[in-house]
Amino acid sequence: MAGVKLEHVTKRYDDQGEIVTAVDDMNLDIDHGEFICFVGPSGCGKSTTMETIAGLTIPSEGEVYIGDREVTNLPPKDRGIAMVFQNIALFPHMDVYDNISFGLRLRDYPQDEIDRRVERASEIVQLEGMLDRMPDEMSGGQRQRVAIARAIVREPDVFLMDEPLANLDAKLKVHMRTELQRLHKELDTTIIYVTHDQEEAMTLSDRIAVLNSGSLQQIDPPLTCYNEPDNLFVAGFIGSPSMNFVSGTVSENTIETPNFSLAFDPATVEGLGVGDEVTIGIRPEDIYPGELRSEIRDPSSLISARVDILEPMGDEIFAYMLLDESETSMDQEQTTNNQLLMSIEPDSDIREEEDIEVAIDRRNVHIFDSATGEALVHKLEPVDTGAGAAGSEAESDD
Amino acid sequence: MATTTQEPEDSDGPLARWTQGAIQNPERVYRALFYAAMVFFLVTTLFPFYWLAVLAVTPEGNLLAGSFLPTVNLFGVSGTFPLPVPKGFNPAAFVTVFEQVPFHLYMLNSFALAVTTTVIVLFVASLAGYVFGRLRFPGRALLMLGILAISYFPPAAFVIPLFQAFAGNEAITIPFTSIPLFTPPRLLNTPGSMVLPFSALFMPLSIFILTTFYGQIPDGLEDAARVEGTTRLGALFRVIMPLSAPGVATASVLTFIAVYNEYFFSSIMATSPEAAKWSPIVGGILSYQTQYTTQFNLMAAASIVGVLPVVILVIVAQERIVSGLTSGALKE
Repeated sequence: MAGVKLEHVTKRYDDQGEIVTAVDDMNLDIDHGEFICFVGPSGCGKSTTMETIAGLTIPSEGEVYIGDREVTNLPPKDRGIAMVFQNIALFPHMDVYDNISFGLRLRDYPQDEIDRRVERASEIVQLEGMLDRMPDEMSGGQRQRVAIARAIVREPDVFLMDEPLANLDAKLKVHMRTELQRLHKELDTTIIYVTHDQEEAMTLSDRIAVLNSGSLQQIDPPLTCYNEPDNLFVAGFIGSPSMNFVSGTVSENTIETPNFSLAFDPATVEGLGVGDEVTIGIRPEDIYPGELRSEIRDPSSLISARVDILEPMGDEIFAYMLLDESETSMDQEQTTNNQLLMSIEPDSDIREEEDIEVAIDRRNVHIFDSATGEALVHKLEPVDTGAGAAGSEAESDD
Repeated sequence: MATTTQEPEDSDGPLARWTQGAIQNPERVYRALFYAAMVFFLVTTLFPFYWLAVLAVTPEGNLLAGSFLPTVNLFGVSGTFPLPVPKGFNPAAFVTVFEQVPFHLYMLNSFALAVTTTVIVLFVASLAGYVFGRLRFPGRALLMLGILAISYFPPAAFVIPLFQAFAGNEAITIPFTSIPLFTPPRLLNTPGSMVLPFSALFMPLSIFILTTFYGQIPDGLEDAARVEGTTRLGALFRVIMPLSAPGVATASVLTFIAVYNEYFFSSIMATSPEAAKWSPIVGGILSYQTQYTTQFNLMAAASIVGVLPVVILVIVAQERIVSGLTSGALKE
């Protein structure tokens, strides 16, 4: 039984006289048996955080605990961990058997115990009959499975996986993903998994830790991160395609944005007053074509837009819409305010260059404080419709 | 008209035509140059061996009388044969070599000194190569430069102080004072007095070779080894070193050959050329020379015998050096 705990872990590098903070005051508490994904863009510190857990990097400040032991300064070999590397890192001068049994042989296990464990591990990852091959005779997926077998054969307390699927092709990736889930169920150990692929994180993990610029943004179950992101970064990072952001100003009973307004009662959100700058976040699937407005439980008023580009995905269509046709989507400064992405049914009858009207499901509108990026509310309270909606509709029409 | 191109070559001399041809088709010139260079190197490296062989089989009495370049008479034209040939045939010289002097013991000395030095150099240079090749620390470049600079010092500069130290007669003092530091043990005529300076002298080259090789092993492999249960040192000797086999082979062959052939230090550290005093091969060869006689044929035969192990080593090691091992290490 071993969880992992990070307390105030900070890692600074001296990059030619310039101090770079890779991990900034990280606090994490991971329970035994949890599958945790670290996600974040490149350079957000997720790999460095994992290296501090592995012992490959000693943090500048803070403590690392595995189980009940403080391991901050222990070498990797004494931490009871195993790791799968992004570049697989099999020892090229050893065959599969030697690769898998490397750690066991170093720990002087009796030969029959080694044989038994290697056999069991190779069964789990379906590598039977390949034990005498050399790594360069194997395909990428097979090598990856050897790397995983090498990790599980020692029965570690904690598994660390640093983008283990990053180098596999799309089909193999999906296959290995389900294998990993099966593995997690079978082994019942703590798994910490680094990825920049939020889809992988969503499907695999019990909880997702979203990192940015070396600090933890949110750690929550995947759907919580998706439905109730703590801040703008998480909202934009989790979900593909990402959330629409529109900046606006709070007025007495609406939020005014450059191109439309949304009925809103500032009194329902604590700490928000008239005149505050906010950012509205709307997921593409919470925007509906105008004719479906009656089916939305708490619809916004209609917003007129012009369809700019359609991206048929098969099971859905992404429609990029411009709210103000005088501006182009290429105008980067304006896109966030002017462009909306809507996800619609594949059989929808919408063409490019068409002027349409859309409605937003108010129950799924997120509001963020523009200055801090913190989420203020994830669901707009219903306001008495009629007057408010009609009024905002009129405004949006001009 | 295209069909009736003028042939200006007709009016040119043969040199002009050859030049034209060389410019238009430089490959022929390159090949000719390659063969010329190869023949040059073959002659300069192989002729001495041939000359040794000729000397070795010539009976001692014939060595000084007459010319090694015989006069040949071919179809009435007489001239000097351009290659030296043995005057007589006496292969027994290769046996006499071992009878007159315990030459095998000299060879054993050289071999033992070379192996010991190679092991020490490889071990220490591996540690240094790991540090220089894989760790980042301030002053790394400066330190590396220092090591390389030391390797350019003339070995002769160390001989007198080292001889004094290894003689073990007086205590080493702090420079410019008479404060004694320690009294070194007497090392003259022991392997220690040769292995120590050899290791120091040949270390920089090995460090340099191993630094480049160790630096190229991907970090991921070392990390993997450390997570699997080795220390940094363990990763060096279990993963990094085996993967750098070509570099390790190169460094060890170069060190081995250099020590095996070494004469300058060993002739001084072994106070007389006796096998019991750890005198190496060259000491043995020179002991065929007495105050009054010089047995050139035995010296030549001993030289050939002495060189054979190195020739074999190079032929064997060549394959090792050529074979790379890192293929398939990582998915790029």
